[in-house]
Parts: sequence; structure tokens; C-alpha cells
Amino acid sequence: MRRAQKSAIVPARWRPVTDEITRIPLQHPQTRNWWICFAIAASLLLLYVVSAGVLFWKGVGVWGNNIPVNWGIAISNYIWWLGLGHAGTLISAMLLLLGQKWRNSLNRFAEAMTLFAVVCAGLYPILHLGRPWYFYWMAPYPSTMGVWPQFRSPLTWDFFAVLTYLIVSVLFWYIGIVPDLASVRDRAKNPLAQILYGLFALGWRGASRHWARWQKSYRLTAAIAVPLVVSVHSEVSLLLAAGPLAGWNSTVFPPYFVLGAAFSGFAVVAMIAVVLRHAFALQNLVTERHLDLLGLFILATGMMTSYGYASEIFNALYSGEPFDLNTLSARMTGRYAWVYWGAIVFNFVSIQLLWVRRFRINPWSLFFVGLAVAVGMWLERYMLVATSLYRDFLVSSWRHYHASFWEWSLYLGSLGLFFTPFLLFIRYLPMISSFEIKETIVEEPAHG
Amino acid sequence: MSGRPDIDVSRLTGRTGRQFWRTLREHANLDEAIETEFAAAFEGLSDRGRRELLKVMGASLALLGVAGCSQQGDVRALPYVTQPESETPDRPKHYATAVIMAGWAQPVVGTTHVGRPTKLEGNPNHPASGGATDAFTQAAILGLYDPNRSQGPRFQGRPAAWSAFDDAMVENAARLNARQGEGFRILTGASTSPTLARQLTEMMQRWPKAHWHVFEPFDDGLRLEASRLAFGRPLERRLNLDRAEVIVSLDDDLLGPGPRQTLNARQWSVRRRAFQAGQGQARLYVAEPTPSLIGAMASDRLIAAHSRIPVLTQALALALGDGGATVTLTAREQQWVERAARDLKAATGKALVSVGAQHAPEVQALGVALNSRIGALGHTIGFAEPSTLTPPDGAQSLSALVRDLDAGAVDTLLILDANPVFMAPADFAFARAMEKARLRVHAGLHYDETASHSHWHAPIQHALESWTDVRAVEGTASIVQPLVRPFYDVRSAHGLLEDAQGRLGQIDHELVQATWRAAWGGSFDESWRRALLDGLVANSASPEVAVSVGNVATPAPTASPTGVEILFRPDPSLWDGRFANNPWLQELPKPLNKITWDNVIAISPALARELNLESGIDHGDMVRIDAAGRSIEGPVWITPGQAANSVTVFTGYGRTLPGQLGDGHGFNAYPLRTSTAPFVITGAKLTRIGGRRLLACTQDHTALRGFDFVRTVPAAQARRERLEPPIHEPSLYPDVRYKGPSWGMSVDTDVCIGCNACVTGCDAENNVPMVGKDQVAKGRQMHWLRIDHYFEGEPEEPKLYFQPVPCMHCEKAPCEMGCPVGATVHSPDGLNLQVYNRCIGTRTCSSYCPYKVRRFNWFDFTGKDSPELQAARNPDVTVRSRGVMEKCTYCIQRIRETSITAELEGRPVKDGEIRTACQQACPTNAIVFGDVMNPESEVSRRKRSARDYTLLEEVNTRPRTTYLARIDDEEGG
Repeated sequence: MRRAQKSAIVPARWRPVTDEITRIPLQHPQTRNWWICFAIAASLLLLYVVSAGVLFWKGVGVWGNNIPVNWGIAISNYIWWLGLGHAGTLISAMLLLLGQKWRNSLNRFAEAMTLFAVVCAGLYPILHLGRPWYFYWMAPYPSTMGVWPQFRSPLTWDFFAVLTYLIVSVLFWYIGIVPDLASVRDRAKNPLAQILYGLFALGWRGASRHWARWQKSYRLTAAIAVPLVVSVHSEVSLLLAAGPLAGWNSTVFPPYFVLGAAFSGFAVVAMIAVVLRHAFALQNLVTERHLDLLGLFILATGMMTSYGYASEIFNALYSGEPFDLNTLSARMTGRYAWVYWGAIVFNFVSIQLLWVRRFRINPWSLFFVGLAVAVGMWLERYMLVATSLYRDFLVSSWRHYHASFWEWSLYLGSLGLFFTPFLLFIRYLPMISSFEIKETIVEEPAHG
Repeated sequence: MSGRPDIDVSRLTGRTGRQFWRTLREHANLDEAIETEFAAAFEGLSDRGRRELLKVMGASLALLGVAGCSQQGDVRALPYVTQPESETPDRPKHYATAVIMAGWAQPVVGTTHVGRPTKLEGNPNHPASGGATDAFTQAAILGLYDPNRSQGPRFQGRPAAWSAFDDAMVENAARLNARQGEGFRILTGASTSPTLARQLTEMMQRWPKAHWHVFEPFDDGLRLEASRLAFGRPLERRLNLDRAEVIVSLDDDLLGPGPRQTLNARQWSVRRRAFQAGQGQARLYVAEPTPSLIGAMASDRLIAAHSRIPVLTQALALALGDGGATVTLTAREQQWVERAARDLKAATGKALVSVGAQHAPEVQALGVALNSRIGALGHTIGFAEPSTLTPPDGAQSLSALVRDLDAGAVDTLLILDANPVFMAPADFAFARAMEKARLRVHAGLHYDETASHSHWHAPIQHALESWTDVRAVEGTASIVQPLVRPFYDVRSAHGLLEDAQGRLGQIDHELVQATWRAAWGGSFDESWRRALLDGLVANSASPEVAVSVGNVATPAPTASPTGVEILFRPDPSLWDGRFANNPWLQELPKPLNKITWDNVIAISPALARELNLESGIDHGDMVRIDAAGRSIEGPVWITPGQAANSVTVFTGYGRTLPGQLGDGHGFNAYPLRTSTAPFVITGAKLTRIGGRRLLACTQDHTALRGFDFVRTVPAAQARRERLEPPIHEPSLYPDVRYKGPSWGMSVDTDVCIGCNACVTGCDAENNVPMVGKDQVAKGRQMHWLRIDHYFEGEPEEPKLYFQPVPCMHCEKAPCEMGCPVGATVHSPDGLNLQVYNRCIGTRTCSSYCPYKVRRFNWFDFTGKDSPELQAARNPDVTVRSRGVMEKCTYCIQRIRETSITAELEGRPVKDGEIRTACQQACPTNAIVFGDVMNPESEVSRRKRSARDYTLLEEVNTRPRTTYLARIDDEEGG
């Protein structure tokens, strides 16, 4: 079976594909497990609300930040969450445009992951403000005072970038799901489900004209989304790179950040794919070949990220600037050395497994490598933000930073903010694109 | 309104003046009193009607400001009914007066806004100030508004009425009258007040059997004793450091905190500046066991234990040709003595030897004799009759009192502005001794340790709200006039002294006038007016007397002590503990370890190794010191530059002031200090007891690590102009072209002594909030100006440096580029502005700031300030709310005020017309501010010096604040 399937992405029984996917929102096979997961996620979401409430009530001082470490895990989480999201866009949009049909099994939930990760990310910069209720001052709205955002600031562009990315991601995801919503509508027995799915299916009848328009808009949105991946995370990297601090002020940052983002995103997509395919018995739709390809992507982007590490070290040594050398030595040997070496171990050492195909197609090993990379990339973001700040230029301002309870609780809570809508998504919406898979099955022999 | 019940008065007397009503609800406590007093009005009213009436009466009493309770009828205190032409509420008024530090005047000009004193500056006309102040003086304004100040009299700890106090005093005085005052004792802190002297003299005439005593924990007692040994009579020494080209300090921190700091620092800087300009020398030889401010400025600093100082003094005497026993020195000591002696000889008449006031009188007397030998008498050092009031028992004053207390000879003890229960030598067990007095009356600013052991506690006025007189360290007297009427129901110390003798109702300013009426005779009114306007009484200093040194016995060589020696030093922020309730001083980083809110046991790196304490950033391990059967426990601080076996403990902490701000910070060092060993204990033992105290330090790292943040230049290069303009790397952003003035600052690290006057001055001027120990420990202190302290070289023998760091006001400011909402922008006159109401708190500016001078309001640090503290604020400066960034503005309010005035007068701003708060406070003129576009301005001249350098020039921020490198005058260094 394994050899035979290599050429065909999905088995040739394409009629039941739609049934297999749409049965999940309509009947839901894993009710008990789903509720357990949902309860955990909802509790974490509650923790998020409480943590944000305490933060708003008392002020950002409930966190562990100080001068010089003005930014702590709030900003590193922001970068981390946003990075996770990028893989969804890359898989959906870039591979769509490149005609990589295998992505059709992965794109829908990868896009959903993007969406919720961007929400988690986008809220962080607002929460970390001293006066969060004025966050909209970063937007160029027609103020009666005639004041505008400051357009030289990377934060202004960050605001635009994240907002644009969120809007485009929502559109892309929604446009993609419309035909499947119609399929669910057609199969729904419950009148409420018929109405709701029907409303959001926008009257989709599967007419040729519909498909023609859908193709145009979907590909157009994809074409908009792909450059956004590059621009958003490049922009995020400027948040650090535009500052004069050693360890930040480097031209390698934009590509380094984009690749790191894709790296962490593929890792999380792999984890989700492994879990969903197991939980909902979707081995026919998410096949070993998908796992293999995801493993290769993780390996490729991971090695490029490691190149970024190497280039940072090289730049510091080659420049010989005392502050750069100081930051390098602080990272490797200072108080937060475990963060640096943790990032190296999780992001570089762990992915070496993926050179071997056996480990790529094994769901367990792929899951754990994905987990290691997700953790490792978190450590890397923390390392980048905190270790440049805690030992900056003047020795007199050096100071340590310890994240407080409320920072950790907000981070744990943000997992709830991610998983609660994600669980709702896999419960109530077609999590895999059935029509695109069928399209693959139809077209594949011709390409084969 | 007869038969006013006591409870009524005590509730009312707590607060007077309209600022201090909190809510009308609080005044509802008056209800009970009103009801009693106006019982008739309540008759026949329903409950509801009764309540209404109460409300109205309570409110109307409150609206009166409860002013009627003041005993002192101030003749000129009238409210404005119509606005007088000369009075506009936005224009501040200035009054010359003085605040008092350990009995000495710190001459100031006080600024008041609509009747509220808001800022003190040094009195530029006063020879002891020259316009500068120290940190204590800057913080005195907050002491005035201290919400923890005692606000009404108390009897046995419970609020009482002044009338009851008066009754008790009158009754007691009548009893004492019959016995010619026998058993009546007064204990005061050190004082130089002519009026107090007159009152005490009159009291002694009235009650010849009464007695008075003085206790001051850190006074000049041993110095006066030394002059008695040298000259045969106690004389006060007056230094002229501005004439001293060579100073040899034998453990004498001439530039350190204390009443003489401002004058000494100013005079020293005058000399140093002349040296910078190539006129003569300014060599400074310091031998000391613990790093001090003068040690940090030394050309040659010798680390010598306390016990080596007599030896070194004797060695210096020998080297200068005096006789006496020979001494053995180490090679390093020998080198130091030879160099010092060589330079002293070469600078005859322009040199000075000074031995610390904590050393034995014999050693100090030898120092005086050395000054005679090098021709210093009458040039760099003079002597005059003491300004301090000398009690009959002299230096033994307190021990005589304790002896009499123990003997039961004391009937009534009046403690006037002193806190012996906390500060007296431990062997006196003063708290127990004073219990033996029949009636104990304490008069002080706070309900403190001594007050809680007294029957009566009478609150006294702060210097800024009282009439008194006081002398400055160079002898000139000042009349202290109030800047404001007392907020609380308090009395003056002079008045209370009269009250205690049963002479009630004396008017304060008449008491002071009576003193000077006798001195001035005929033209009293004119002289009085002159003295108040000038803030000083001209030619009132006691003249220097011609002296010749008698036969000074060489001090007996002391056996070299074994073990550890414990040195007692007043805390640089709290002094002897009197400033414990002042948050500006509690949160003031101590110059040489940058600790706030705590005191430490300073030990050398060598001793730390011996005790197995790890050197590192986490100081604070707890140790116990055992000496002579007494012990104290406290956290250690490994101090670079400390003598190996010398341990310094700082007094003033560990106070027990329940409910007050100063309560419970640090540890109390006084239990180890005895009358026989008030400054040093030898043979002590240190034991590590486990545990660690969290210390809130504002600078975790002080080693310079090879960076060039502070720079030194050889003297030969220092006087040149800089050859090349500063390097400007290319920038992406276009340069700004300035049409008008454009501001800049130059900080001379060659004369910065790290005294913190600028920091406290900035706190006062700019409404800088204090955040408390836990927030400082987290790195969230708010000081707009900090003084970085670094050491260079081996921790055993380091070079010490200070570097004040305000905002650099960069021309290419990373913060301006980073802010997404334009809350930090460049002004047309070159300032880097912070727009608080536009700031949303992204903290990007601070992350990008290479100098980390920006401060963030992590919480609402100001909203909960008590009404008293709100009244202390400068109305010209915005009070910042939660979540906004703030930083040094170059005192933009002063720039704008002067610029507007100049514009109205149609003239440009003159150079030196605008002075920032830090510049104004600085006793050494280390800070200069002005227009950098004007090549003739002082700041431009300084920036042309070869010593001018930019902090972190390589970051290409082009700061407007630049530094002048320190001149390295170390020999062979």
C-alpha cells in the first residue's frame, strides 16, 4: 500500500471524501475527548481574561519588566505567535500558487491556525502598552488634533502589517471554506445548522460561474497573502533591528525572522496534522507523504534558521565591536545562557533526525520534533528580546529580568485563546478542504 | 463657647490649613464634638434634622480651615479678598531663609507658589552656599510636607490638647520656680542659634539650679577637644580649601555628606578649576579605611585602616621634620607619606593637613600642629570661637545627664529636637535612664522613639515654617523666616522652651527679634529687614583669632590591634537617622554603593573571601558583628577600596516608627556604638548567620570592565582645545538647522564628587515620584538624573569614578525614530521632548535608548499621594500618570519661562540665565547648561576643551550632553 500510494496523493475513492470530512461538523465522532479538550482550553481562556484584567486594572508593572528590559516575554510571545501563523499562509497560499496539490489536505486547518495565532499575537502588543486603551493612536485615523502616527517607527508599520495580515488571512480562509460550507449545508439535517451553514455559504450552488469567480478571488487573495508573510515578519524583525542595540542592529534580521517564522509554523502544522489525523482517523487524507513533506520543510527552514545563528556569531566576531562581543558572550555564558543553548538544542540538534525518512513519516517522531522546534523557537525569541536588553551599552544600567506570575499566566492563557477557537473550528467547520482534495484526485493521474 | 471639651480640640488641632481636608466625611468625626458644644441647637430636632444641622456645621467648620486654633497670631497673614496688583498666582515668590542640618544653617532661597513652598535653592549671596546646596537641603522641602510629621501634642501616646499641655507646663513650672529650677533638665541637639543661647542664658538666670545638655551623634566634639590640646582653648576650625593647592586628608571626608559639604565642595572645586586652567596645583592625598567622596577624587588614595591613621600622621610629622617616635610603615605607606610630605613642603602656605573628626584628639592636634609647621594657619585653615552652643559639661554633656538621671536627680526632662533613645550610645541605656525622670517632655518633628518614652510629646515646627536664627559653618548667622504658616498644629522650639518654664504665649518672631535687638541696638528695623531680605546677617561671623600651637604631645603609639575594626559612619542619605521619613532621601542611591532604602555592612573583598562570601552581584548575605559583648546583624556589601580588616557600618536605619515611612528599613547600628568607642571598635568578630536580605540597588554592576564611559586625560593634554570636531558618522535622516538658540550641557567629571545634590534637586524640581524599595529592587526607580559610579582596576585598590547621566538629548535620537505615536519629538531648540499625554507606553524609546535614561510609570505612582505631598509639587511641571514614559527635560519649564521673559523684554536669553535644577544645586559647578549655537557661551567653551568627550560616541546619537574627562594627576599613573 505504501509504495502504491506514493504516486497518488489520496486513495482513489473520492466519492466518500466529502462525506468523511463533512460528517465531523454534523455528527462529531470524538464528543467526549473534544469536551475534555474544550474544557481545558476554555479554562486557559478564562486565565487569559483574568490575567489581562489584572494587567489593565493595576498597570503593566504587574509584569517583571524594568529598565533596561522594557520588553519581556510579551514581545517574544508576540513574535513567536505571529511566526507560527506564517506556515499556514505559506502552505495555503504559496503552495497553491506553485501548484503543489498535496497542500490541499493541510491548508484548511493550517489557515485556521494562522488566523488564531495572529489573534494571539496581535493582542500582545496592545496588552503590553502602558495605556492600552489608546492603542488606536497607532492607526492613521483622522484625529481632530491633526496628529498622525510616526511613520518612521517600525511599530507603526507593525500595526499596519499585523492588521493587514489578519484581514487577508480571514478573507483567504473564508473564501476557501465557502464551497465546503455549502456541502455541509446540503448534508445537514438540523434546520438551525442548515440556516447557519447556509448563511455563511453565501448561496453557493456550485455553478460554473461560481467556480470561475471563486478561482479568481481565491488565487488573487493568495497572491496578496504570500508577500505578506515576508513583509509582516520582516517588519516584526525591524522592531528589534531598527534599534541601536548590539544583537539587534543587524541586517540579517528580516530573512532570519521570516525563515524562523516558517520553521516554527511548519513544526506546529506538523503537530496539528499528526494529532488530527489520529483523532479523527484521517490517515487517508493526511498521508505519510504529507508527513514526509512537512518533515522536509521543517528541516530546510530549520537549517536556514541555524544559518542565521551562525551569521550572528560570525558578525559579532568579525566586527570585533566590544558591545557586540559583549552581547554574544552574555547570550552564551550569561544568566540566560540556558535560553540560548536551549534554542540551539531544540532548533538545530533536534531537527537533525529529519534527515532520515523513517523519522519524518513516523507521526510520533515528527510530533516530538515539531514540539521541540515550537519550544526552541520560543526560547529563541526570548533570547533575542531579553538578552540584548539586559546587558546593553552602559554597564551601569545592566539588570536582570524575571517574568512574573502574571506574564506566565497570560502566556498560558494565550494557549487557551488559540485552542478554544481552534477546537470550535474542528468541531463545527470542515477542517479539511474536501473539494480541493477531490480536485487533486481527479487531476492527479493527468499530472502523475 | 466656653467649656470646649478636650476631644473637640484634639480632633481639630490635628490638621489646619485648607490643603489638608481629605473629605468632608472625615470631618464628620467632628459631629460628636459639635453636638456637645451646640447642644442647645439640637434640642427638639428630629433625627433627620439633627443630621442636616450637623452636616452644615461640619462643613462650615471645615470651610473655615479650622484656622482659629492657631495659637500664634501672625500679624501679616491675611487672605486675598481682591487680587493685589503685585500678586499673580502663576508668579512664584522667593524668600531667603535657611534650613538646619545638625545645628548648622544651610542658607537657602525658598520658592513659593501661591503660598506653597515648592523648591529650595542655595542662597547665592551667602558665603556658605554660593547658590549651591547638598542633598539634605534639597530634600528639606519634602520634610516640610511629611504626612508622618507629628500633627498635634500627645500625652502618653494619645492625642491631647495644647491647653492641657499648657496647664501641665504651668503647673510644673510653678513647682520648679519654688526650687530655683532644681531638677529641670533640657537636652537639645547641636545648635548654633543665638536666640536659643539667649533663652538658655535667661533660663539659667531665672532657674540657677536648672541644667542643660547637648547630644549630637556626629558632632565636632573631638575636633574642639583637639584644638584645646593645640591652642589651650576650644576653637572652631574654618577651612579655605579654595587656597589649598595640596590637601592631605587623613581619613577626613571633607567632601562627604554633612553640614560642611556644600562649602567645602565649592571651595575645593574653585581650586580644582584653577588647576584645570593651569593656575597652580590641586593635589589631594587621601588615606582612609573606607571609600569616601574625597577618596574618589584623590590624586593618591592610600587604603589605610583606622588604626594606621595615627601612625601615618606621625610619619608625616617626621617627614616634615617634627620630632617624635619613629614608626614603621609598609612600602606603599612610605611612598604615600614621602610624596605627601614633598608636596606639602613645596606648597608652604598653600597646603593643608586634615585629620578626621573621628580620630583621637591627640592625633587631630598633631594634625593642627602640622598645619602650623607648613604655614597653613591663617591661610588654608583658621580658627575662631565656636558657633555651637557649648553646654556646661562640654563633651561629657550626655553622660552627665545620664549620671544624674540614674541618680534620680532629674525631676523634669525636656528633650528639644533630639532623639537620644534611638541615637544615644548603647552603654547609656538612655531609654531606661530617662524613665527615672518624673516628667518627661519631648519636642520634635516626629512622634519618634524618644517621644514614645515621654509623658508629653509636643510637635515642633519645621525650619521652613518657623522663626529662628542659626549660624552657617563659616560663622555667618541667618534669620530663619517662615515660608508658610504651619500646616499642622505645631509650635516653635523657642516657644516650647518658654512654655516649659511656664511662660506661655510668647510670639516666636518676637523671641528672635529680642535677641537681635540687643545685638543691633538703634537701627533695628532696617537691619532686620536687611537680614530677612539677604538671608544673612552681615559680618556676624565670629572673627578668626590669631593662634599659635602650643606644645602638642605626640600621641602614644597604640598597639596594632588584631581582628576586625568596626567604623561607624553617618549614612550618606539618612545621616544619623533624622531623615528616615523622607522618601527622597530613602530612595537616594548612596554615592558609593547605589543602595536605597537600606544600610549595609561594608566589608573588603579580602574579608569577604575570609568569610567565605561570594563576591558578585548578589550582595546582602547576613552577618552578625560581635564586639565588646554587644552585637548587631545586618547585610554585607562587598566594597571595592575598603581596607582589608576594616568594616564600616552606617547609622540611621532600623528605626522603629510604627506607621511611618521610615519604619523598619535597614538595621540599627547604634546598639554597637558606645560612649567610649563612638567611632571605632577594634577586635570585633564577624559571623555569617545565613540568610540574605534583598537590597534595592540602582546599579548592579560597578566594574568598568575596560569600557571608556569615564575617561581620563593627562594634565598636560587637559588644557588644550580639542583639535578635531566630534566625529559624526553619516545618518539616514537630514540634519536639523537651528535658527535660534539650541541647548546643550557639559558635565565635568573632574569635579563631580557624586554628592547627589543634583539628583535630589531634580526630584524636587520635576515632581519625580518615589516608588519604594520593592520597585527599586525590580529596576523601576524614577530618577531623571542618576549618578553612575564605577571602579576601575583591582577591587582591592580601585580607582573610583562618578558620572552623572541625565538625558543626552541626542541630535539623532533613536527614541524619536522608535515611537509609533510621535510622543517623543525634537523641539526647534534642539531638545528631545517627551509628550506625556500622547505617550501610549510602548517603551520602544527606552528599549532603543543607549543610555537608558528614560523612566516608565509602571504603575500609578502619583495618584495616591497624600494631599500634603501633592502640595509639595512644582506646579510648572506635569505630574505623570500611569503607563507613560518620562525623562530629563533639561528643565524645560525653566527654559520656557526665561525665554518668554526675554522675548517680552525684546532681548536674547543671556548665557547662564537659564540654570537647570541639577546645575543650580551642584556645589562644584560640574554641570553647565546653555546655548551651544553661541560660541561664546560657557557650555560652548567647555565643549571646545580637549577633555570634551561623548558618551557612546560610536552609536552616532550625537548627544547634546557631553562630558569633560577627568584629569589624571596620579603620580606615575
